[in-house]
Amino acid sequence: MQVITTDVAVIGGGAAGCYAALNLAERGIKPLIICKGLVGKSGASLFAGNLVISGRALGNSEENARNTAEFLIKYHNQFLIDQKWAQRCGQWIEKVYYPELEEAGLYFRRDDSGEVVTSPGKIRSIAANVQGNSGVPFMDLRRKQVIKAGIARMEETVATSLLSNGDGSVAGVFCLNTITGEYTAVIARAVILATGYSDRLHTRSTGTREMSADGIAMAWRLGATLVNMEMQWWHTNDLAHPPCWQRMQIYPNPMLGSEKSARMLNSAGEEFFNQQQDDPLAFGPYTVQLKALVKQIRAGKAHYEGGYYAGFDHCDAAEVETYTTYGKTFRQLGLPFPATLAETAVSSHYRQGGIDVDTSTMRSSIPGLYAAGGVGGHSNGLIGLATYDGRVVAEGVAKDIATARISSVPQAQIEAECRRLDRLRASSGDGSSPCRLKEQLRAVMWEKVGVEKNASDLKSALDDIERIRLELLPGMKISNTARTVNYEWLDAIDLVNMVDVCELVIHSSLERKESRGPFIRQDFPLTDNDNWLAANVLRKSGNGMKFEKRPYDLPLFAPGFSRKDNLEVSW
Amino acid sequence: MVPPGDVPVPVLLAVDGRRLGQVEQHDTLAARNSRLAPGDLLTLRVRRSEITAGGDVYQEFRVPYQKWMRVLDALNWIAENAAPDLAFRWFCGSKMCGTCAVRMNGREVLACWEAVEPNMVIEPLRNLPVVRDLVVDRTRYEEKVASLQPWIERHEPYAGFPEPLTHKQMKNASKALDCISCMCCYSACPVIGLGNLTDFAGPAPLVQLGQTALDPRSNPQKVRRSIELTGIFNCVSCYKCEEACPAHIPIVSGVIEPLKAKAAQLNPEMARHSFALRDIVARRGRVDPGELVLRVQGLRGLRNLTRLWRLFARRKIDPIKTLLGIKTSAAGAAARLLGGGAGKP
Repeated sequence: MQVITTDVAVIGGGAAGCYAALNLAERGIKPLIICKGLVGKSGASLFAGNLVISGRALGNSEENARNTAEFLIKYHNQFLIDQKWAQRCGQWIEKVYYPELEEAGLYFRRDDSGEVVTSPGKIRSIAANVQGNSGVPFMDLRRKQVIKAGIARMEETVATSLLSNGDGSVAGVFCLNTITGEYTAVIARAVILATGYSDRLHTRSTGTREMSADGIAMAWRLGATLVNMEMQWWHTNDLAHPPCWQRMQIYPNPMLGSEKSARMLNSAGEEFFNQQQDDPLAFGPYTVQLKALVKQIRAGKAHYEGGYYAGFDHCDAAEVETYTTYGKTFRQLGLPFPATLAETAVSSHYRQGGIDVDTSTMRSSIPGLYAAGGVGGHSNGLIGLATYDGRVVAEGVAKDIATARISSVPQAQIEAECRRLDRLRASSGDGSSPCRLKEQLRAVMWEKVGVEKNASDLKSALDDIERIRLELLPGMKISNTARTVNYEWLDAIDLVNMVDVCELVIHSSLERKESRGPFIRQDFPLTDNDNWLAANVLRKSGNGMKFEKRPYDLPLFAPGFSRKDNLEVSW
Repeated sequence: MVPPGDVPVPVLLAVDGRRLGQVEQHDTLAARNSRLAPGDLLTLRVRRSEITAGGDVYQEFRVPYQKWMRVLDALNWIAENAAPDLAFRWFCGSKMCGTCAVRMNGREVLACWEAVEPNMVIEPLRNLPVVRDLVVDRTRYEEKVASLQPWIERHEPYAGFPEPLTHKQMKNASKALDCISCMCCYSACPVIGLGNLTDFAGPAPLVQLGQTALDPRSNPQKVRRSIELTGIFNCVSCYKCEEACPAHIPIVSGVIEPLKAKAAQLNPEMARHSFALRDIVARRGRVDPGELVLRVQGLRGLRNLTRLWRLFARRKIDPIKTLLGIKTSAAGAAARLLGGGAGKP
């Protein structure tokens, strides 16, 4: 057990966390990155396929700029977004983000004559080296910038709980090195949660191994306000097989250097979705695709685990593979490319909701606790947005840090957390392993809290989860009590967080009595702008929770209707 | 199981050295995905660290095949159903993070990317310390990469977005940018396997360096300082790294050779061996090992008399020919092809 002190603990080594740390270091504030995986090599940021060119950059027209904003507000967030924040973010991406990345060495794909290769269309994008793989060199650059700046890192280290002062403000974070098994209490003047968008809460999920909603669970336990926890994206065209490729997507976005996009066919061989033809403004058409798929499923021509297909059989191989990695999955399976389509299935994807923040500072409702990137409840889905958050949170922390004192070491909390973790490691019931319980929990979420929801299934899921919490978790069995590289122990720690967050997702889903974008209630099929163009705010009260609605302002774009069948709404 | 003869043989679209012979042996990627039916039992023998007091053992598991199953799926099945304490590292499961590499039947593979085989021996990567089971300690690699400072230092001020740059100029660097630092090449490299006998940085750190050193925007003096730390001329161009790379990076031909060329240009002293070899061949029509050793090692090369005697007895060296500089019949052709003694440092 060691105690270390830093100015700011940044939890998460993705786009938001790295950029926050870099910005803080530039301001002379000392950050420490605590990352459950490896900085720049874990989480959702790696999966950035391409980078949206916004504003008037690279010859974009006024119309392109407006389209990008509209796309972000409508298709990405179904109007559940602070539009003024989106506007600030867009301006920053245009003026700062691209030049800064390129100056640092990121290679935006050129052709042989030196032109930056873009996707044509209403909204345009570019790629870092190759489309489909942009997140890899992007995050590799961040990793190296962090190393170059001499920023301290604790990698393969999981934050297990937030530490607090007597006045309720944050004192630091407790963590476990998953390789050595050592405990560390990090005492900090501010804590930034940057744990990402996506979590593995469903049987099929795009969340990576380490993403188990730790950030949200820790913040909630300390009493942070959450928002829109029910709002969840789905990928509709991830590979149905093999199991570990459940987040390997047949990208529906426009391709660089081509007028075409992937197409999707139902079990009868009928095409039911093609972004370029069906909705060119739905640049990242996940929600639009999902609605198209739900109709196929209701018609018996697909199911959520497969039975429908996606691919590029209307394209030449060179057209797809010159600037994208989209052929690699097909080729690795030995499927003739592009002549073959691959069977696809649904995976739960990014959560739109998360920790409620003030978007001008990224302060949460807890003094000293900040959230940046996907773990926040204010936006969704682009690496540029997560990066912008990294900058805003650094500004927010810089404003507050002069008055934030270094806390005294909260000895009692540290001892309690050591005991909790030791107890988990010593779990010796006669029940299942944590790994298997995780799968059991995911199966409940997949079957009863999937794409199409209704009150009866949601309540039944709550009962199932109650049973996992009260009966199965206490009887859990860990077969090896070693401290070093004990992923069984880590699974047990993850599981506690997942159970808490799954419950919050379900309660929030019950509360939103409408359908909106990817949130589909069979018992409330209408999108209801009269009552639900509002944040579904979740506050902790005593041992329970209470909900309240907070309407969104609509300064730039408005839906233009009151109530409508969600499946007939274009976004 | 589907008999091999029933598997359709696909047309090879491009020649890929790694796949040579696979069609003939019915071991194509397509065949691998169809030779097993869901439910067929795979046999895995997984190397475990000291689960009993007697040291490392190979523990056997029988795992039911799932459609298009990857090695990682088999390991996940074991963790869920047979050995929850099996330690193996993975994060993304789809060839992005590069943390799940293991050795399967003696070759390095990315567990999330590689199709299972009916019988598999699974072992941790070589050339890195094992922490537990299949988990290796990446520190040695990470420290080497950091020491090379693989970031861009510009020799000209940044011109603003988008700066002038063509893909042709970035061709080799862009291939290196596909690196996910999975360590497959590092494990496969026989020179790294020699341990501290050389100061070779290894293929993975060189690819990391190549990302910026082969970028025309990099300051050549900074590139020179970084390459000097790599011991790059210890690479014997055996192509093991290139064969193992799951990202299909041409590690030797597209990264290490261009880096060697850069080193020869920026610091000819580093390439003394290569220059001497080229010069000898150009003048005399073939390599003379005696002259090569003398020119590279100087008189130090004469210290080990036993070795000299052995080389002489096996007619590997001929002091008379070396001293007289006797040419072979190929000398004329070699001089024409290589341009005489040009290129001498």
